Amino acid sequence: MLRFEQVSKGYSGGFVALDRVSFELAKGEMAFLTGHSGAGKSTLLKLISLIERPSAGKVFINGVDLSAVKARQIPYVRRDVGMIFQDHRLLMNHSVFDNVALPLVIEGFTGREMAKRVHAALDQVGLLDKARCLPATLSGGEAQRVGIARAVVNKPPLLLADEPTGNLDPDLSKDIMRVFEAFNQAGVSVLVASHDLGLIARMRYRTMTLKGGKMINDGLTHQEDGE
Amino acid sequence: MSMLFAGRAVGATASQPNLLQKLLRAVLTHVRQAVTSLGELWRSPLWALITVAVLGISMTLPTTLHLLVKNVQQVSRSYDQSFEISLFLKNDASATDIATLVTLLQGDNQVAKVRLIDKAAAMAEFKQQSGFGEALAFLDQNPLPDVLLVTPKLNQPAAAEALMHKLEKERFVELAKLDISWLERLAALMNLMQQAVYTIAVLLLSAALLVIGNTIRLSIMDKKAEIEVMKLVGATDAFIQRPFLYTGIWLGVFGGFLAFVVVELMLWWLQGAIATVTQLYQSDFVLRSLSLHEFAYLMLIAVSLGLVGSYIAVRSHIKAIEP
Repeated sequence: MLRFEQVSKGYSGGFVALDRVSFELAKGEMAFLTGHSGAGKSTLLKLISLIERPSAGKVFINGVDLSAVKARQIPYVRRDVGMIFQDHRLLMNHSVFDNVALPLVIEGFTGREMAKRVHAALDQVGLLDKARCLPATLSGGEAQRVGIARAVVNKPPLLLADEPTGNLDPDLSKDIMRVFEAFNQAGVSVLVASHDLGLIARMRYRTMTLKGGKMINDGLTHQEDGE
Repeated sequence: MSMLFAGRAVGATASQPNLLQKLLRAVLTHVRQAVTSLGELWRSPLWALITVAVLGISMTLPTTLHLLVKNVQQVSRSYDQSFEISLFLKNDASATDIATLVTLLQGDNQVAKVRLIDKAAAMAEFKQQSGFGEALAFLDQNPLPDVLLVTPKLNQPAAAEALMHKLEKERFVELAKLDISWLERLAALMNLMQQAVYTIAVLLLSAALLVIGNTIRLSIMDKKAEIEVMKLVGATDAFIQRPFLYTGIWLGVFGGFLAFVVVELMLWWLQGAIATVTQLYQSDFVLRSLSLHEFAYLMLIAVSLGLVGSYIAVRSHIKAIEP
């Protein structure tokens, strides 16, 4: 589903965010990406969603080389990858319904078909009753779940989450992770970047650890050098 | 169809609509975006009002000048139609000679009409109009010549002049006269005015274009976060820029309509003053306002300005916003 081959990303000024990272995420697999802030988690996710391009190496999604994707094709790649952000990035002056509907509107859906899908997505995250609310009236956990509903509303095969529980208390974090688990059980490949080590350890999924841009651990448990 | 996953049905294409449904959806999307843009203008009326005012006023001046030129042209055209060559005939021309000449001229394909004013008729008219009346009765003989008034077929100064030179050479013609120099001057003056109108129009409309572009730019900056999110969930640049283009079109529609209203008000205001003047000159001059045709042109120009102005802003700024 997702494959990194010796991917490096350097920024001008000599800072190396990722250093020869290789891994593969199988179809229908769920994995965590962890490490301290600045270890390169966000950069890695940005390479998948084509917000950034690698300095060296190649990224493949479903066998398609992303370096061959032209700038004007980027929107179409992003439609295949559901993305969830720490600050949930909702449109604050639009209702929950409109926020979730956005990817569908972009793809040309209208009317009943769109409403059906939006309601299905909101139902999956347990927010069907909040469809008419504005994001400002939601709690942090609810806003994050709206973000998830927006990411899955057009049923992408791959789901990326960048610190989805970063601003949430432990109970809410667990809820959010359960939502990801549910989507994974429905066959979606999920990659979650998080530094919430306690939570990740309890979930017992494959965990990849980045440190200083290098992949230092890839296994069922979290291990970090010097600990 | 998905870019990365062959066979993954994506978007509205998943339901495989036929051509008509696709077209209907596209139209529906456009209508929705147009209405949304209008709604957004409505919600932030101040900057929209200012921009519409700038556009409206910029278009009012050229439109007014255009109307001025048009009305002056209308006046001068009524003079154009009175192109007449006066042929003063020699005193020794007999009635038969004159009749022959009239027949000859009527056969000329450059001549529309020939009218004879013979000596006696000319005298009678002169007596009546000059006010000398009785004094003229003391003259031994009628000093006025026979006159032929020739109307050329072509209502153009140059054609009339050529015809005059030709007729001058006829036998029995003493003198041919055509007073067109003032008409030529008027035409030249009007041409100058028209050029001035175009220049002013171009300058004012360029300024309006810049104002519209700047307004749209500010509105794009205002929505930077929203545009980033839209790009993140896979919106193409074309999709993102469409509402801004519609905003430009709406600004054009309202600006053009404002110009129309201002011009009409101005005409209405002037009507009284002009009526007084024309009454004094006993002319049947009627002030012409914008025709439907011209109104359509006005709106077309205004909408194009809105569209082009916003397109310039959109092109450079939406691409620059990246998540």
